[in-house]
Amino acid sequence: MLGKGVVGGGGGTKAPKPSFVSYVRPEEIHTNEKEVTEKEVTLHLLPGEQLLCEASTVLKYVQEDSCQHGVYGRLVCTDFKIAFLGDDESALDNDETQFKNKVVGENDITLHCVDQIYGVFDEKKKTLFGQLKKYPEKLIIHCKDLRVFQFCLRYTKEEEVKRIVSGIIHHTQAPKLLKRLFLFSYATAAQNNTVTDPKNHTVMFDTLKDWCWELERTKGNMKYKAVSVNEGYKVCERLPAHFVVPTPLPEENVQRFQGHGIPIWCWSCHNGSALLKMSALPKEQDDGILQIQKSFLDGVYKTIHRPPYEIVKTEDLSSNFLSLQEIQTAYSKFKQLFLIDNSTEFWDTDIKWFSLLESSSWLDIIRRCLKKAIEITECMEAQNMNVLLLEENASDLCCLISSLVQLMMDPHCRTRIGFQSLIQKEWVMGGHCFLDRCNHLRQNDKEEVPVFLLFLDCVWQLVHQHPPAFEFTETYLTVLSDSLYIPIFSTFFFNSPHQKDTNMGREGQDTQSKPLNLLTVWDWSVQFEPKAQTLLKNPLYVEKPKLDKGQRKGMRFKHQRQLSLPLTQSKSSPKRGFFREETDHLIKNLLGKRISKLINSSDELQDNFREFYDSWHSKPTDYHGLLLPHIEGPEIKVWAQRYLRWIPEAQILGGGRVATMSKLLEMMEEVQSLQEKIDERHHSQQAPQAEAPCLLRNSARLSSLFPFALLQRHSSKPVLPTSGWKALGDEDDLAKREDEFVDLGDV
Amino acid sequence: MPPRVTFQPCGWQQNQDTPLSSEYDFALVNIGRLEAVSGLSRVQLLRPGSLLKFIPEEIMIHGRDFRLLRVGFEAGGLEPQAFQVTMAIVQARAQSNPAQQYSGITLSKAGQGSGSRKPPVPLMETAEDWETERKKQAARGWRVSTVNERFDVATSLPRYFWVPNRILDSEVRRAFGHFHQGRGPRLSWHHPGGSDLLRCGGFYTASDPNKEDIRAVESMLQAGHSDVVLVDTMDELPSLADVQLAHLRLRALCLPDSSVAEDKWLSALEGTRWLDYIRACLRKASDISVLVTSRVRSVILQERGDRDLNGLLSSLVQLLSAPEARTLFGFQSLVQREWVAAGHPFLTRLGGTGASEEAPVFLLFLDCVWQLLQQFPADFEFSEFFLLALHDSVRVPDTLTFLRNTPWERGKQSGQLNSYTQVYTPGYSQPPAGNSLNLQLSVWDWDLRYSNAQILQFQNPGYDPEHCPDSWLTRPQPSFMIPGPPSSVWLFSRGALTPLNQLCPWRDSPSLLAVSSRWLPRPAISSESLADQEWGLPSHWGACPLPPGLLLPGYLGPQIRFWRRCYLRGRPEVQMGLSSPTISGLQDELSHLQELLRKWTPRISPEVHSKKRDPHTILNPTEIVGILKGQLHPFWITRC
Repeated sequence: MLGKGVVGGGGGTKAPKPSFVSYVRPEEIHTNEKEVTEKEVTLHLLPGEQLLCEASTVLKYVQEDSCQHGVYGRLVCTDFKIAFLGDDESALDNDETQFKNKVVGENDITLHCVDQIYGVFDEKKKTLFGQLKKYPEKLIIHCKDLRVFQFCLRYTKEEEVKRIVSGIIHHTQAPKLLKRLFLFSYATAAQNNTVTDPKNHTVMFDTLKDWCWELERTKGNMKYKAVSVNEGYKVCERLPAHFVVPTPLPEENVQRFQGHGIPIWCWSCHNGSALLKMSALPKEQDDGILQIQKSFLDGVYKTIHRPPYEIVKTEDLSSNFLSLQEIQTAYSKFKQLFLIDNSTEFWDTDIKWFSLLESSSWLDIIRRCLKKAIEITECMEAQNMNVLLLEENASDLCCLISSLVQLMMDPHCRTRIGFQSLIQKEWVMGGHCFLDRCNHLRQNDKEEVPVFLLFLDCVWQLVHQHPPAFEFTETYLTVLSDSLYIPIFSTFFFNSPHQKDTNMGREGQDTQSKPLNLLTVWDWSVQFEPKAQTLLKNPLYVEKPKLDKGQRKGMRFKHQRQLSLPLTQSKSSPKRGFFREETDHLIKNLLGKRISKLINSSDELQDNFREFYDSWHSKPTDYHGLLLPHIEGPEIKVWAQRYLRWIPEAQILGGGRVATMSKLLEMMEEVQSLQEKIDERHHSQQAPQAEAPCLLRNSARLSSLFPFALLQRHSSKPVLPTSGWKALGDEDDLAKREDEFVDLGDV
Repeated sequence: MPPRVTFQPCGWQQNQDTPLSSEYDFALVNIGRLEAVSGLSRVQLLRPGSLLKFIPEEIMIHGRDFRLLRVGFEAGGLEPQAFQVTMAIVQARAQSNPAQQYSGITLSKAGQGSGSRKPPVPLMETAEDWETERKKQAARGWRVSTVNERFDVATSLPRYFWVPNRILDSEVRRAFGHFHQGRGPRLSWHHPGGSDLLRCGGFYTASDPNKEDIRAVESMLQAGHSDVVLVDTMDELPSLADVQLAHLRLRALCLPDSSVAEDKWLSALEGTRWLDYIRACLRKASDISVLVTSRVRSVILQERGDRDLNGLLSSLVQLLSAPEARTLFGFQSLVQREWVAAGHPFLTRLGGTGASEEAPVFLLFLDCVWQLLQQFPADFEFSEFFLLALHDSVRVPDTLTFLRNTPWERGKQSGQLNSYTQVYTPGYSQPPAGNSLNLQLSVWDWDLRYSNAQILQFQNPGYDPEHCPDSWLTRPQPSFMIPGPPSSVWLFSRGALTPLNQLCPWRDSPSLLAVSSRWLPRPAISSESLADQEWGLPSHWGACPLPPGLLLPGYLGPQIRFWRRCYLRGRPEVQMGLSSPTISGLQDELSHLQELLRKWTPRISPEVHSKKRDPHTILNPTEIVGILKGQLHPFWITRC
């Protein structure tokens, strides 16, 4: 797949096959050039953004219908993004641009979004890095959001080619200092006009109050307390300023090993059991120190092993579970399935799609994460045990597993605010090293592991399997994953809260000016207009009815209706006539065979797991209760929206989920208007009318890739013969074709 | 009663509203595997003729349609019966002769129940049916030919079919003789833009036609069009043996105790090649649809036998191109016309006559349709449940629809042809006279086996007919008016068009279709071919916009899905997780709300849509309060 252009020429006797050919004749260039001068597209710069270099008459290839053509324009590189300014943007009509990202345009690549850069030299594709001796005629940029850009530089002035290519390589690949992140220039420049969304209620967990609130919400305040022992990061730089520990734990203990070896509270279950995490004590050779460590740990365990605490089960995520290395390898294999330079590659890989997918083992890693989360859920829910997650720094798989457990057990985390607070609590405050894991500073490629992306993919599986249980949509998850690479939000650009605070000047004494006000990604209005934001919200989600008494009559009316929505619908409904209800007995008996395949050993623990898993799936789903995913082979799927959205071949015109969505919204609207009418009669006063989401209404046929890849929409040319038309008479040609058939067998 | 295994749940007889139950009903032919179980460890696989070695606690019947029936005997001291019942099933399987299993249903109820039926699906057994359908398609250049009325042109062809207006019946007879098994070119579907979709068998190369014959054949194939594209349907598509093998593998994979590890599931699925074959079918159908509708070229589907893949492709093309074929009624008529009447050998292909030549082409087709349903959820009036019901009906021995190989046999059986032929059918007794109602029963009489509630579920709640505007029917097709060069003929093969010198193989060159093409994955397009290709279509064909109503399906690896509601039904853990679509819940609520409003505002016309826009609805507040107090519909919803 990768480097195909290089491999292609290995024939020997024959001239190497040209892999990248410009299909634009020189005459066309001139006509296009005129247009370019007529329609100058202006470069939009963010506050603080600076133009670094640019090149004109760059040809950007547009992949469409398997034949390539290009658009001329300017390629610019700023300290925030690489942008292509062509005139194709004007082709979009208003209707289609409603889901426009306000910060990053369609032809913009933020510097942090660049994954790999390739150059094509004499039709050979090579990875570009460092100082170049020779400049390529074509530039291929693979992005971390899986877009692929191809720029032809053949018609660009040599000077400009040198400047733009070395500029892009330098600014995207050279190691960077934290202080040089665009985040800071933006925050400095936009100091005055940053507006925080008043409606944003995401809990940031940067104050003691937030933690107390969370304790209270989960009723964990009986046995756990929020402490500020790390205020000013005196104890340790990994931990947040405030966190929660078991009540009897002395605060000196926290200081003892800089927060290592301390059970830190994540979440409490309704039955009182809690999820805890602990970073391992530093590995020591010296027996004396080991002895001290041991007695320290014994002391800690003693406090949490006796009542009122439940039995503790320790789950060591550093051993017997995924390694970061595995995740990294799997993802880099997996993403190659979608980073496609041309349709040829696509068709090549398509033939073996399932086995390629499987051999990347990305889906299997997702399955293992979900399974681990179910196991822990079982311990807490069914056996009423506390679970202590153990990991070296408690900041990678700990974040992943603990967030997944909470997502499955706590319906609050399935609301948008709840989900954002969860990420804030477990990932941002939990000290997940976003900077290193996303390799934002390009300082160490080996540290780059897509743990957070793996989490989002696991969440997607849950959302995909139980859409009514989530307030957010898959589109929300997709744009959230894109936001990882937009360096105007502080959320994903620090390794720890300590790093953020020290660099913001809030804690440092050297800054005399007021602290910078950084944006958080949760302020979606920065990226999207309100209309576009409706796509992030699941219209079928219904909030959990609040069971408080003594409310106004009108409120109760609403509440009654909420109760009766098919929250606990489906499985026992008569509609399932086609799928026979099976007795418990049957399930146990037959399932044994199946599930034993999920599990390698068949000890008691696994039996518990199986029983828990089976019995949950045999009952009707309560979307506001415990939620478990299916983890059998056919159930783990590819997050098509994220991974396939830029591949024009993958689009289904007028199809996909959008088709039902528009119908659904229409019906919701009708239901709403009917209800308003009833309300009106009932209350005799006008109820406030919610704005109907009409984003999908106007266009009759959207594509399955909606709301992404809008550009492909106006390809009205139906794809007929993909391999076109050739006279059979040409014998040479036939011979060549024969060769290709043979080649194919080897792929 | 036809040979079957039926489980009747307690209380079923009382509130039975269908003569037969669909859920616990297993035709003997449908039994793929029978297992007797005792305890957790004793399992015996029972083949026809084998002896039961112990008293079973329960038996498991694995259906060839992926269903699973488990009957437990342990509760209530039923052991003696358990042995008897099991052995009875074993013996019945050994004795049953699938070819003759149909014995008609003698249920008077069947006729009564169907009193309030919607317009019945035309069985395409009478000339009127064909004429009605021809008019519906506005195929003006075509007429119904009666040349096969006595099945003497071909027994596998229907008695009536469509031929070009200008062709005389004698010419039809003359031309058809030069096709394999006498299956000459007939119209399948007329595109409102002017192009036609034809289907025919392979040329009978051993024959030695004279000039007039060749002229007749050519004019039938050309059917008055200047450009004609010949499609070899066997090219790029799986052979019958391939289909059968894939289906067997798929069934093995989906058995509840299949030994595939979860992390190897995907490659095991790929290894069955079933999904590959589906993509091949969709890809080809999509290409042909573009040719017929957007390019407005007439297409002739040619398959040697003209009874398998031609039917599959022709039906798929119509589903993709004609919005009316996507309605419940339209789809049933389509299957009746392109499969049943066109002589798809259902009995042989579904394994009714022995192992050889078995190939579930029709099930492959149903899976293709399901893929379309997944990809275009708003464009089909019928639901997945309907496809499942149809899938489960192919082996049910109650109606003749899927139990015969040819229209001739079907007609013979139902006694229509007594005046024409005298055929001795051993072991078959004529149905009692006067019971003509039974003769009319077809698989489309769903109320025979499905309750009204189930039949209601055949409707897709997400169907949005606005998606298929009627306007395109009358839309002028300018490209068709452009006169092309004198008569050109193209061969569409391996995803490419090649010009043909002539339509028929007999004149100078050897037959193109005599060269059997093996199914191969489509070759990847080499990058250099992109350059000189520029589509390569004749310039006068022009670039046409996609006509509205045309669906272009996705057929890439990630887009082809696995029909788990069908294939994994035997796996309880999958059964459990299937939640019903929320959209139907919404629909329920919508209709309920509308009903409420209707009740309170008698002066408003029953037209549903005028309702919500009428601001003058008068409601009685006390009435509402009464309703709010406890008569709320379960699917009440709050603001979105």
